Parts: sequence; C-alpha cells; structure tokens
Amino acid sequence: MNAENPQNVQGSVMVVGSGIAGMQTALDLADSGFYVYLVEKSPSIGGVMAQLDKTFPTNDCAM
Amino acid sequence: MSGEFKPKIIAFACNWCAYSAADLAGVSRFQYPPNLRIIRVMCSGRINPNFILKGFQNGADGVLVAG
Amino acid sequence: MDKCIACGECAEKCPKKVTDTFNAGLAKRKAIYVEYPQAVPLKYAIDAPNCIYLKNGKCGFCAKVCPAQAIDFEQKEKTVRLQVGSVILAPGFSAFDPQKLDTYQYSQYQNVITSLEMERILSATGPYHGHLVRPSDKKEPSKIAWLQCIGSRDINRCDHGYCSSVCCMYAVKEAVIAKEHSPVALDTAIFYMDMRTYGKEFESYYQRAKDEKGVRFIRTRVHTIVENRETKDLSLRYVDENGKALEETFDLVVLSVGMETSKELAAFAGRLEIELNADNFAKTDCFSPVKTSRDGIYVCGAFQEPKDIPYSVMEASAAACWAEADLATSRGTLTKTKTFPVEKNITDEEARIGVFVCNCGTNIGGIVNVPAVAEMARTLPGVTYVEENLFTCSQDSQDKIKDIILKKGLNRVVVAACTPRTHEALFQETLRDAGLNKYLFEMANIRNQCSWVHSKEKDEATAKAKDLVRMAVARTRLITSLGQPTISVEPSALVIGGGIAGMTSALGLADQGYAVHLVEKQERLGGIALGLLNTWKGDNVPEKLAEMTKRVTTHSLINVYTGATVKASTGFIGNFETTLSVKGSDRLLKHGAVIVATGAQEHVPQEYLYGQNNRVLTHLELDRAISSDDPRLPAADAVAFIQCVGSRESKRPYCSKVCCTHSIKSAVRFKKINPEAQVFVIYRDIRTYGQRELLYREAREKGVIFIRYDLERKPEVKNDGDRLAITVKDHILGRDIEIHADLLILAAAIVPRDNEVLAQMFKLSCNSDNFFNEAHAKLRPVEFATAGIFLAGMAHYPKPIEESIAQAAAAASRAAVTLSKDRITVEGVVSYVKEFMCRGCGECERACPFNAISVQETDKAMLAAVVKEALCKGCGMCAVACPTGAASVHHFDDREVLTMVETAFEY
Repeated sequence: MNAENPQNVQGSVMVVGSGIAGMQTALDLADSGFYVYLVEKSPSIGGVMAQLDKTFPTNDCAM
Repeated sequence: MSGEFKPKIIAFACNWCAYSAADLAGVSRFQYPPNLRIIRVMCSGRINPNFILKGFQNGADGVLVAG
Repeated sequence: MDKCIACGECAEKCPKKVTDTFNAGLAKRKAIYVEYPQAVPLKYAIDAPNCIYLKNGKCGFCAKVCPAQAIDFEQKEKTVRLQVGSVILAPGFSAFDPQKLDTYQYSQYQNVITSLEMERILSATGPYHGHLVRPSDKKEPSKIAWLQCIGSRDINRCDHGYCSSVCCMYAVKEAVIAKEHSPVALDTAIFYMDMRTYGKEFESYYQRAKDEKGVRFIRTRVHTIVENRETKDLSLRYVDENGKALEETFDLVVLSVGMETSKELAAFAGRLEIELNADNFAKTDCFSPVKTSRDGIYVCGAFQEPKDIPYSVMEASAAACWAEADLATSRGTLTKTKTFPVEKNITDEEARIGVFVCNCGTNIGGIVNVPAVAEMARTLPGVTYVEENLFTCSQDSQDKIKDIILKKGLNRVVVAACTPRTHEALFQETLRDAGLNKYLFEMANIRNQCSWVHSKEKDEATAKAKDLVRMAVARTRLITSLGQPTISVEPSALVIGGGIAGMTSALGLADQGYAVHLVEKQERLGGIALGLLNTWKGDNVPEKLAEMTKRVTTHSLINVYTGATVKASTGFIGNFETTLSVKGSDRLLKHGAVIVATGAQEHVPQEYLYGQNNRVLTHLELDRAISSDDPRLPAADAVAFIQCVGSRESKRPYCSKVCCTHSIKSAVRFKKINPEAQVFVIYRDIRTYGQRELLYREAREKGVIFIRYDLERKPEVKNDGDRLAITVKDHILGRDIEIHADLLILAAAIVPRDNEVLAQMFKLSCNSDNFFNEAHAKLRPVEFATAGIFLAGMAHYPKPIEESIAQAAAAASRAAVTLSKDRITVEGVVSYVKEFMCRGCGECERACPFNAISVQETDKAMLAAVVKEALCKGCGMCAVACPTGAASVHHFDDREVLTMVETAFEY
C-alpha cells in the first residue's frame, strides 16, 4: 500500500514481546520473506503461556 | 555380579512427545535405571508389531512403545 | 551467550538465592539462572541487580566453574538503533496484584494464592514438582475454593470495569486438573457471578466439570475471608442467591486474578504515541482490530483487550498480514538465502563413517568414559574416523568436522552428544557445507538420555553410551541420501464465502500482491453482516460493509464470483484445481491455497410463540426492523429479550457467543430512544466478555432490568391481548413474576451451515456441533490439518465481527507463507510405495491422518497407492497398515529401525 515509493519501505519488522502472540507474528513474517527483530525483556521467549500447566479443552501441556 | 534381575528394555519413542520427554527427564536430571535403550521413530504409529517381536527375539526382556 | 552450553554448573555454585518470579514467587532460584528447563534460548543469564559480583566486585564463582568460559561480567547495556518498516506490539498483560484488595488478605494469609501460583503448583516443573500441596504446611488440601473476578468487573475497588475474559475457563480447568492431581477425593468450589464459557468447546468442558467431575459452582461474591490462626484454614463468608448468609471452610483459596496493562507498558505506549482506551488497552476499532491509532504500528494479544491463547494467535497472524501488505514491495529484500555446494553422490560408495564423541564439558565426560566409547567406535564396521571433542557443537568444531569430511572422504557422520531435537539441524548444515546430503547423519543421545540420567552409575552409563553409539553406527551404515523434492506454487488463493471474513481474507492476500478467487453462493457479497446494524463499539456496519465490498469488487487482483458454488476440487498445497459452478456453467481454477469462510446462520426458534405472534423477533429481524423504521419499535413501551434461545441446551450445547452483547447493545438503544420504556433481559449467564462488560454496566445504569432463569425453568410466553405475557421466576424475590411486553426479542442461536459438502470435498473434519475443526485449538486456530487449507469466521465458531476479521486476516497471513514461495521444499523423510508390490487395497489411505497417500489408477491400468510428498509428515502409519510391505518410509524403513534393535545390547 506504500507501493508508490518502494525504495523507502524497509522489508523488516520489529516485534515487541515474545509470548505466544509475538512468536506467531514473528514466524509468519519471517516465513513470508521479512526480516524480523524480536525484542524481549526477559532472558527467554515464551511469555506467560510457558508458566501455565496445561491448557483446556484438550489439557495439552502448555509447553 | 549379584543375582539381581536386571531386565533389558527397548523403548520405541515418538520424536514429538515421548522422545522429547526423555530429553526433558535428562534436563531435569531425573535418575532412572540404565538398562533402557531408546530408539527414536517419527511416530509411535510407525511401530510394526514385528518390531516388538524382533526386540524379544534379540534378547530384550521388555519392549516399551511410548508416544 | 554463544559459548554457554547450559550445563548449570554456574547456578549450582552461585551463592545468591533470589525469589523465582517464573514460579510466581513460590520458590527460590539463583542469581544466575534459566527461567525454566525448556527455555529458549537455553542459556544461563545473570540477574544483574542480584549478582554479588556485579554489585560488589567480589564472588565470581560462576566464572570460575564455567567449563566453556561463557561468563562475561563486562557486558553492558547497549542502545541499538533499528530501521524497520513496521512495528508489531505483542507485550502481553500483567496479572492483577490482589494485594491492593484487603478483602482477600492475599499478603497476610499464606493459603490465599493467585491463579498463576496455582498453575505453578500444578506444574511438574513447579515449586512442588507437580505435587498438589498448599504453601503454609505443604499439606495436601482436601478442599479448594476459586474466587472469580478478582481485579475484573469491579470499578469500586480496583477501577477495572472490564471482564478479563479468560478466568472462568482457567478456573474450571484448574479445578478439574487439581482433582486429577489429588490423591484424596478433592472438593473444589468456584465462586462466580456469571460463568463465561463462551468459546469453542468451552461450554461442554464446563458442563463436564460440573456433571462428571463434581466441581461445585456457587453464584455469589465472597465478602470476607477469615483465617484460622492455628490450622491456617480459611473460612469464606458470603450471601447466596436467595439472600442467606453462609460460611464454608477451605484449605486453600485461589484468587482468579484478571489481566491489566502495567504502568510501564502504558508509559511505553505513550512514548510510541499510540492511543489507549479508558482501560489502558490499545485503542482499535472492530473493522481493523489490530491496527493502533498510529499508521504502521499494529497490536495483538492481551494488550488489545484481555483474551485467550487462540485469539491472541489469530491476532498475531492478522497483524503480520497487514504489516506484510504495507511492506509487500520490499518482501525478500532483507532476508538472505544461504547457498550450499553441490551434493556428492555416494550411492556406489562403501560406508565411510566419521564418529564425533562429545564431552560436553564435563556433562558427558564427567560420567561417561568418553575415550572408551571412542575406542569402541573405532572397532565398528564402516567407521573410518573417530574423534573426541570438548564441545562438538561449537563453531570451531563445525569447521573441523567439515574439514575432516573433505580430507578423509567421509560419506556419513555420527555425533554422540546431546539430543537431535535441538542439535540435529546444526550438524546437518555442517554436512551440507561439506557437500554431503543432510540425511547422511545420525546422533547418539549420550547426554540427555544417558550421562544426565545415570550420573551415579558411571560404568553402566559408559556401557549404555557404547550401545547407543553402536546402534547409531549400525543404522548409519544403512541410511542413504534423500532427495527433497520441491513443488511449484500457484501464487493465488481460492476464498470460499463472500461475507466479512471471506472479503477480509481476500483483501489481505490481494493487498500483498496475490491473486484471489472469491466465491459467494448468493448474488451479493456481505453474508450475514448484511443484516447487522452496528458493532458493540458503535461502528456503522452497513457503511463499513459497503466500503469493504467496494474495495473487493474494484481490486485488480480479486476475481469475484457471485451466485457460484464449488463443485469439485483436487490437488494439494501449492497446486489445487477447483471447478466452480458459476450461474450454471463450470469454470476451472488453479490456485495454491484455500480459505474456507462460509459463515453460519441464525437459528429459527421453535418456541416462545416465534412465528405465531408478530411481536416476537430474532436479533437479525430486530436489526432489520430498526433499519427499515418499523413502526412496531417506537410504539413499544415494554421490550423483553430472552437469551440462549437454542443455545446451551442438550440439542445444541455450545454458547453462541455474540447474543448477550447484541441483546444488551439493543436494550441500551431502546433506553436511549425512550428512557421511560421498560426493558427486560431474561438470561442464564451474561457473557459480555472483555470490554463488552462496559455495555452491560451501561445497561444497568440506564435501568435495563436483568432477570436470570435456569434451564430447568425456562420463561413462559403467552398471548395477552395486544401484548405478550412472559412468566419467569425471579431468583431475588424467590417467586414467579409476570412481564407484559410489546416486543419480545429472541437471542436465537448461531448455527452452522451445511458444512458436510465442503468437508467431504476437501477432507476436512467438523466437531460434534458441526462447525469446522481447526488443526489445533490453541496454536493453529486458522489452519486445517490438511496443509494449504485455512479457516476463518463463523464457519469455525460463532463470533463477533472483530474476531471474524482477525481470524480472516490471520488465514490470509498463513496462506501467504505458502504463496510467497516460488517452490516449497518437502522434507525427505516421507513415505514411498514400491508399486510392483502394491495391490491397491487402500489400507494405507485409511491409515493416513494427513490425506497424503491414496490409491490411484496407474498407467498400466492397475490400482496402486501414490504418496503426495507435500502432505506427508513421515509418521509411517501407512507402512504399518500395508499388508504387503509395499509402503515404507524413507530413513525409517524396517531395516533401518530393526538394525538398532539388533545392536541394542552388547552381550
């Protein structure tokens, strides 16, 4: 949609936060040809979901 | 050597769950007896009954299919 | 960081203990730590504010014990400037801190915990290793209570008027799982105001918890908790629905805390100059639910509004879709593709195997006698080179392995080290750098599955490591190079359904530069939204819909087929061929992906005088009546709404999700037009989740009267002269009351369309309610299990416009991952069929969970199974099902597996 001036369009995206949403958006972008900077405050990715024990309705392990 | 029975166990482990669970047991340093040999497969659905018989034929005392 | 091998020596020796925030403060960890055992990256980090060395310049134990010299105290915070085309915010939420509420004495009473602490207590990696005990005395509780809406739906004490959307469901889950964990007959009770189990499969989970698992549900708000000072048990005081004061004692009380935006996050949003709404969530509108107030900045997840995992995942992909559309002209300009030398053909060579045995510092070498393992490996047939490494995974080891492969002419490699699940890809890349096929590689897992789990039995661990290496070498002798076929991709998509979801998907792809074929059965685009008036946030639906329709019909890359249906479809990801029937004539299309967005419809009620009295309307009829200035509306002095008409009943057990909000929005509208009008909402649970709750509050403030009914005692509707008489039991008064109404609006269920035809054609599955089944309820909410086919909108489950739009844009983003590639590379570990042995019985086709193998007629006019490699996941179910041995899997054929069985034990 910025097609009129492609030179100024960076093919990169910064994603702030690497919980389940940040990871998904980063994967989609990287898998379709965009460079992603995934920025996370804590030492590992995963966010709150990694703290959860199991998720319903399947009771799958959240890991 | 004591006369204690130490069974030889072969485990077929699914790459996506049981095999990674065995990895996690390692990361968590859970200790278990060393007489288990794990064979990785891409799915426990890959296990042909023949594989299990072959295990016994080769001297295994138990065969575990985990997935 | 690159040097850290995650052995944990540093944390072992670190003298400083600090509160473990990952375990919600229930445990301690060291000042050098990994958050949890599966953390990515699995690298230890120094907690700088707590590190003794960084504070006092003394200590440094970690650096002394680190075998990899990975500790660097000199690292400083750096400022990095990035030039990016777009920003996506996914910062999540903070759990509400209940210390602010003195009612619950969270900071005083040890056995009052938050739901997040409960998650950690239930977790096997948690502070009590998954053993369900309470904090005060580590005793197994026999009675646990959950209190809902802590920090939600409460403007008096915490200024959070909104509903946090997820707590009802997680409380039910925790109660069920706690019961499973507990060795005693655990009693669980959930104290709630409305059960908001509005999502797909949620209501049935709630009913099962109640009826089968015996979780108790008590509709009240607990006003006081008192702790018994000796036993530390907790006594809950509350008033029940009939006004009776009650008290009950529990061993453990869980506060179901809500979600909020932290002050830091709100300040960050301020620096980014994006607008927040009154509840401090990013401001968006229903037709662009992930777009912030600032161009180029998108938002997804709980920072937009409290929400659960699947909707966070959907919004994440939706944000990606719109960012990709903005940046479409620069796709691929900053990404790099690595090139590799031409692969050597080793078909006629004898096995020349190199074995690399890793010490992993002391992780393996400290337990397993690595020299003895290496010595044994030298004696194995086919092995021509053996080496021990301190760290086989380090970069200099990769250079060395590559060098040795070339110098010694190795044609297969075994690495005896950690697990292939984390390190196989690294070594495979090294092989490719050296001109070997990546499948000529095998790992022996002598760390995670040997030295780490047999640390006290060094001799046995060494014997086992030898066996593992022998098994790996035996298998490696048999493995061969595998091709990775590539398949071409037709860069266009078929979108089935021209409602809001279908149009959003079509625009999402077309704006990224992909051609779209949009198929609509009706003559007009718009779907069920054509009958809607406005969203709960007030967006004008007809206007927005007209805008959207115009964009779709004028877009140069979108071909619209109205009055059209899908007649037949064949093919697979990247290469579908579909026949449309357009106004009676056939048209053949080629496309690379499919998005199913066929929507749902309004249930036709069979009760409450619907169809017999023209004062009884459904929601869609009400919206139509409003937009056509129906004279019945201004004439109505009393209006009643009945909720759950056809939903949450044995025949249709799911919640239709949108009806509570639609009724209340309409009720408020009646009150705004005529404040004197009497407006009643007769409901079972009000499910105005998220910020829709504000609408519920507004309705009560405007004098809308809410009356609850139970399924066992539904309201009764009778003709009453010109009006209607509705009898319903009022729980507060404890007796039947009669309401006289001029209009009765039925919140009719949302029911699926006839999804059977498409399900058969594309081999898709539906759930028991006949909505389409996504590949994974949490993590793959817009994909089908069959690759290349995606799902959006109400065909998946009833949902409001903003969620349909998010899911539709997400489907477009997921489809774009495929369409953005010229060719897709298929994994080499796939099934194959020896045609001469196949008798075409079809057992494999029935066994395959991925529709990847099917019986077809060969050019010799025989029947034989054919593998679609693009769909195959290499699970091998077909090989087991095959009665003749014709079907097998590359890399895991019978011989390749059985040779490991044969060499498993040294005798």
